[in-house]
Amino acid sequence: MDAYTNFLNGTVALFSDPMGILIFFGGVVGGMLFGAIPGVSMLTLAAILLPFTAHLSAEHGIMLFSVIYCTGVYGGAITAILFNIPGAPENAPTAFDGYPMTKNGQAGKAVGAAVMCSAIGGTVSAVIMMIATAPIANWAISAFGPPEIFALVFFGLAVAATVGAKTLWKGWLSVLIGLMIAVVGMDPVGGIPRYDFGMPYLLAGIHFIPTILGFFAVSEIFVQAEKKATGSYKAPKLSVNFPSLAELLAHKFAVIRSIFIGFFCGILPGIGATLAAFMGYNEAVRWSKDKKAFGKGKLEGVISSETANNAATGAAMIPLLALGLPGGALTAMMVGVFQMHDMEPGPLVFLNSPDLVWVVFAAMFFANLSILLVGFLETKTIINLLKIPFQFLAPLILLLATVGAYAVRGLVIDVVVMFIAGVAGFFLRRSGYSVAGIVLGLILGKIGEQTFAQAMQMLHFEWTGFFGRPIAGVLIVAGFLTLASSVYSAFFKKQA
Amino acid sequence: MGKLRPGHIIETAFWLLLAAFLYVESSAFNKSIEIYKFGAAGWPRALIILMALAALGQLLYQYYAGDESTGSLGAATDDGSEDAAREAGHASLRWYLSTLWLLVIPFIYMRLPDVLAMAMTLDKTGVHVVKLITAPVTLVLYLATMRGNHVGGMLALPIFFAAILEDMGFYAMAPLFIIGVTLLMGERRPQWIALTIALIMGVLLMMFVSILYVGLPTGNISPFYDFSNWLVTVLQ
Repeated sequence: MDAYTNFLNGTVALFSDPMGILIFFGGVVGGMLFGAIPGVSMLTLAAILLPFTAHLSAEHGIMLFSVIYCTGVYGGAITAILFNIPGAPENAPTAFDGYPMTKNGQAGKAVGAAVMCSAIGGTVSAVIMMIATAPIANWAISAFGPPEIFALVFFGLAVAATVGAKTLWKGWLSVLIGLMIAVVGMDPVGGIPRYDFGMPYLLAGIHFIPTILGFFAVSEIFVQAEKKATGSYKAPKLSVNFPSLAELLAHKFAVIRSIFIGFFCGILPGIGATLAAFMGYNEAVRWSKDKKAFGKGKLEGVISSETANNAATGAAMIPLLALGLPGGALTAMMVGVFQMHDMEPGPLVFLNSPDLVWVVFAAMFFANLSILLVGFLETKTIINLLKIPFQFLAPLILLLATVGAYAVRGLVIDVVVMFIAGVAGFFLRRSGYSVAGIVLGLILGKIGEQTFAQAMQMLHFEWTGFFGRPIAGVLIVAGFLTLASSVYSAFFKKQA
Repeated sequence: MGKLRPGHIIETAFWLLLAAFLYVESSAFNKSIEIYKFGAAGWPRALIILMALAALGQLLYQYYAGDESTGSLGAATDDGSEDAAREAGHASLRWYLSTLWLLVIPFIYMRLPDVLAMAMTLDKTGVHVVKLITAPVTLVLYLATMRGNHVGGMLALPIFFAAILEDMGFYAMAPLFIIGVTLLMGERRPQWIALTIALIMGVLLMMFVSILYVGLPTGNISPFYDFSNWLVTVLQ
């Protein structure tokens, strides 16, 4: 069957299932809402929902997360434009021109451009994803063994360490914390207990759900609590008047350019939408005849950033589904959803669960389209919900997280671990460390150590064996080059 | 000293001490595996060495650049929490010590009754009585300390809540937790706090207890245990 037929089948499966429809629209509105509420993000919602996906089918669970991913990236643009608070790092360049537009009384225009361009970027990206993922997965089955997977993990972590934290070193330390948390429990080769300190709870390893809930949802509340205490918490202001179609058509080249940039950045594990948005914005500035207008409220800045970051969402699913490697915090949580259903993402998913893959693809396509519909129809309503004061939202989020952590295994200790992770996340975040880096390290740590052990056994413990395999060799060299160039630019560009 | 501040040195010392501790502890599982020559400790030790190198790299960078971000990507991830902390004086030694003490209090509740029970050879009922006495005592300690440190209080409150969940249950403690969080977030209007409790508890109980049948902690000390069971029976 070709991609078109599979897509039609996926669409029929998605919209003929009442539960599927409910989850789809819940994800669309939830992602948009959480993306748009200052102080929480789509990652907060995803972390809260993660434990409950155990009660859903794998198909519904993955579909919910992919929909939240698409609409949440858009939702983060609303706070970036209205309050200069990017919902996520990938919305940061949107604020460069979006917030000045708000100050110039053009908030509606900026939000409207974000709606249109997020929908266009995401939809085109979803179409390419549908066409490209299956061939890549088929190729990966024969081309990717443990050395290649380890090399890709290494490359992904090397890149992830360079973004997300305040400095390069803090990015590395963040990833290393996650990798060390993943070490706790049995070692993957000999089953020898590590760092259990005589506690039976730690023998099974630290569960990723309470950890993720703590680092994202709980630490976010603590950060906002401190901002409230210091008076730096900003409450929303409201205004929505959308731009005309002619205004958007005038920037069609910026949209096309940003789609390409977004897609190619998104496909790289560990980078995803953040670099896509920055590169989309930077290229818009580079190609513009009126460079000085950027940063002062230029519509093209919002268009480029929002097209690129949503174009990265479909692309980010390619390494996840074709190779089993998450590219960012939300796709890392999707690995968790797969694991809770005793599945591993990767090329075999296409063979074993094609229905799941195509329902997810169809859902992502329609989620991006629905940004257009829901964005125009409901953004005003959603923005009104932002009036809920944070002091009433905070206990709800903390109690939802409590229920989520407890529901995984029925252990109160998981709730304690979650809140300790929240406190740790609070201190790490306010010192410039990256909680997304920690979670990527935590999720990729187990895959990394296991594939490293398998690779070394395959290569008879010869390190040079990696370079005898072209893909692994290229990825290892690329990883080292990334590390070396980031160290060089951190030191020498700073001193220049 | 370049652009180094004492905080940078403390930060590096923390990472190096953590790395040293983890390295020493790794000797407990440094066992050889027949088919894998790096053994169980090879991978974690490599990570620990990288951690120490990254901490030293960070110190060197701070020597030259102080608190500057590396590049626009680094700057974009700055959510303002660091500045908020510094402006509010939440980066002083006094604040850290007060917060540390607040964070220790829940663990006093978790450990003290067991220690006393061992020392006094108490039975189950005796342990419950000790817990019923320890809970208000630690709560008073918490309230006395958090008066001058609301953010520290906010950090410790959820851990305190989690610590008492096992014994006193979700159903009885969640409303008190909501009161605590809303007060710490600056809300003072009783009618709004009451409405928040009613709405949040209503939504949570309806969704998780009545519809999804998720078993939440009921506690194990009377009368909390009895109250939880009664409520669950009514809702289901």
